[in-house]
Amino acid sequence: MNRNEIERAVLNFIAADGATDAAFNILALEIFRFQFENNEPFRRFCLKRGLTPNRIQLWRDIPAVPIEAFKELTLSCAPVQEVERVFATSGTTKGALKGKSYHSTLAAYDASMLKTFDTWVMRGLPRIDMGILYPSEKVLPYSSLAHYLSQAMEKFGTPASRFFMGDKNRVNFSKLFSELKRAERGGAPYALLGASYSFLSLIDELARRNLSFSLPQGSRLFDTGGFKGRAREIDPERFYDGLSERLGVPRQLCINMYGMTELSTQFYDRGNVVIPSIKLGPHWVRTRIVDPLTGDDVPAGEAGVLVHCDLAHFNVVSTVLTEDVGFQKEDGFVLLGRVEGAEARGCSMAVEEFLRASRN
Amino acid sequence: MAEFAGYLPGFSKEQVEWQALNFGAGSSSLRVSVPLLSEAQMIVLCERVERSANDYLKNRSVTDIIDIIDRTIARLLTRDDFFRLKAEKFLPVVTGYDSEMVRLALTKYLKTFRKPELTRFLAEDFPNPQILDSFQPLTKGGFGRAFGPNLLAHIWAGNVPGLPVWSLVAGLLVKAGSVGKVSSAEPLFAGWFANALAETEPEIADCFAVVWWKGGEKTQERNLFIRADAVFAYGSTKTLGEIRDSLPVSTRFLGHGHKVSFGIISAAALNTRKAQITARMAAQDIAVFDQQGCYSPQIFYVERGARVSPRQFAGYLANELACLEEKYPRRALTPAEARDVAKWRQKEELKTLSDAEIEVLRDDEGAWVVVYYNDSVDLSPSGLNRTIKVVAVDTPMQVPSHVQSFRDVLQSVGVAATPEELHLIAKALGGVGVTRISGIGSMSSPEAGWHHDGRFNLKDLVTITEIESSAETVSETLAPYLD
Repeated sequence: MNRNEIERAVLNFIAADGATDAAFNILALEIFRFQFENNEPFRRFCLKRGLTPNRIQLWRDIPAVPIEAFKELTLSCAPVQEVERVFATSGTTKGALKGKSYHSTLAAYDASMLKTFDTWVMRGLPRIDMGILYPSEKVLPYSSLAHYLSQAMEKFGTPASRFFMGDKNRVNFSKLFSELKRAERGGAPYALLGASYSFLSLIDELARRNLSFSLPQGSRLFDTGGFKGRAREIDPERFYDGLSERLGVPRQLCINMYGMTELSTQFYDRGNVVIPSIKLGPHWVRTRIVDPLTGDDVPAGEAGVLVHCDLAHFNVVSTVLTEDVGFQKEDGFVLLGRVEGAEARGCSMAVEEFLRASRN
Repeated sequence: MAEFAGYLPGFSKEQVEWQALNFGAGSSSLRVSVPLLSEAQMIVLCERVERSANDYLKNRSVTDIIDIIDRTIARLLTRDDFFRLKAEKFLPVVTGYDSEMVRLALTKYLKTFRKPELTRFLAEDFPNPQILDSFQPLTKGGFGRAFGPNLLAHIWAGNVPGLPVWSLVAGLLVKAGSVGKVSSAEPLFAGWFANALAETEPEIADCFAVVWWKGGEKTQERNLFIRADAVFAYGSTKTLGEIRDSLPVSTRFLGHGHKVSFGIISAAALNTRKAQITARMAAQDIAVFDQQGCYSPQIFYVERGARVSPRQFAGYLANELACLEEKYPRRALTPAEARDVAKWRQKEELKTLSDAEIEVLRDDEGAWVVVYYNDSVDLSPSGLNRTIKVVAVDTPMQVPSHVQSFRDVLQSVGVAATPEELHLIAKALGGVGVTRISGIGSMSSPEAGWHHDGRFNLKDLVTITEIESSAETVSETLAPYLD
């Protein structure tokens, strides 16, 4: 199949509900063949492992590309100068390479995003008043999250919806609070969406001003990204309690999304009454939990590193080895967090410490 | 199985609170109880150890002390000894290392503390060891006597079984009272050694103690440090920095940080007959304690131009690592360690996609990795746990310039070279901060009396009190027998 055929097949697959494992497998292998033929660095990656499309019968055997590779290699089936959009990781370290995802068109990304958002966030509502605690995609054109939230607002927001973060990377609290007051009085459900750390600064600000709101019934909160690498971390129980108390939204309507620049599809929970919550994905993505050394699946219920096979990410690579740890639970998985380095056991200097030492 | 860690003279088990640390799984699981002293107990303990060392240890001759250590070590070298049996049974569970590897390494290590080796250890730092017992004439004139600290604090870290013996022995030889803190990774051996010492010579039973507190707990650390005259610590650069900053200015600090070690193979060791043996010895250096020692190699620099090329040598090394995995399998890694190794390997594998000069040889189960660099790279560590870089060089003399910017972290270099090359390489390596050069295959067993990180182990612990000749002259004028 050529690029247009693959894209059409992916869009059809997303649109059709209840795909079988067999149907998933067939399309995953088609996409693997397409990527093997059109994505030169990915082909080399497979060949180093002695893998070709003819040797692979199951999507589980498609080699997973570590997210590190998104920094080092140009992974795109379409020529990069022809792609509609490039998303890049934020990369907080100065001078660090950024991981990039090239989207030949945004059709599959948007279809995937809109359908999952509809299912897990809108939950039957056609539109809702939205407040977004993140800059728009005009401000952050390379941010997949900015695009995601802009799409959410465009397709599911009412005309009254708006962004509360500009290019200064700070929430405009006074505008936000007058908007929340308006929502409180109006009685229609309100949705507040943004990065987890923006919600944390919101909790802090509300506490500082000794303010709280009681948003109308059916209002919901949506956070994503977690706190790793941020100046402040907070226990998730306290985080959701704080949100719930200060904004009057029950924890079952506090939804956390898990996504990454290196994928086109996101995962959601059914609220955060119980922590850690179970994350779920749609039928066009499958998740394996593997032993990072052997690449084999860990026994069910044991912790391992997450590998996602996301058919919507067809122009880049579909099967991605993350740096996230989790375990399988019920119909989804529980995310335990990012891979962190082991504490040194011995007196032999390990890479991390060495890099710190050589920087000093 | 259950076992108590620590050694707390003057306290009964009932007087102390204990915390359980769990090791292993299933039928071989072990519950180790580590002591949680109250602040008051810690203070009492430090004072008791210091007082006892003053009363008993300081009056013993260094020959006596050597004899006590020798008899204790002899016990621990006997296969059916009570503590030896414990060590052989429990250390593999606690550390995860293969039991045969632990047994062999323990013997190899402990026998470097027998009487002849201890005498040599002492002679390395004190040409006249009696200077530790009484005032001895000094060549410059006058007399001198070496005094050890009254209280020496030890902070042990890491996962090389038996490590605490080293500093405990050093403390005993300079007649210091010792209070040492074991790490949660291996809390047992120090306590067994202390118990064995006390049984060998009950008179000195109160002159040392082995304690524990949770890493990062500052109160107990402070209680110990303000009473110690000297602190001996193993740990990361960060840990050592924190300890040093927390000490009173007058407290002596002897820190052994994490290090990087490597090997150099000259063309002389790479003919068809010798290359195999060289690779076998190199693989042993890698496998012993899965590269957790400061002396463990992380890179081998291999000279081009011999019958066996550096690339072929990398293949030999991979074979040997595969054989060792059969014989002494690598310790089961924690999930975090496995992810570290996987991440390191991933990075190296990604490099091979854009750089044809790099190759990754790996075991499918992830038990070992050899990365070959045809083009020399700057020193950067391996992923540890039996992962190694092989770097081709035109001549071994290229190596010092590759590593010179890392002089603060360099330690051992295992060398396989001709006698002439050995001395040339040694001179250049010493100049860039390397402190120990061993034969390949012996990197993990430093000889008795080695100067750890290039320092004087015992001399750094003592102060010399000198009677200058002027004092003698004055005293002569005041002698009762004066005419």
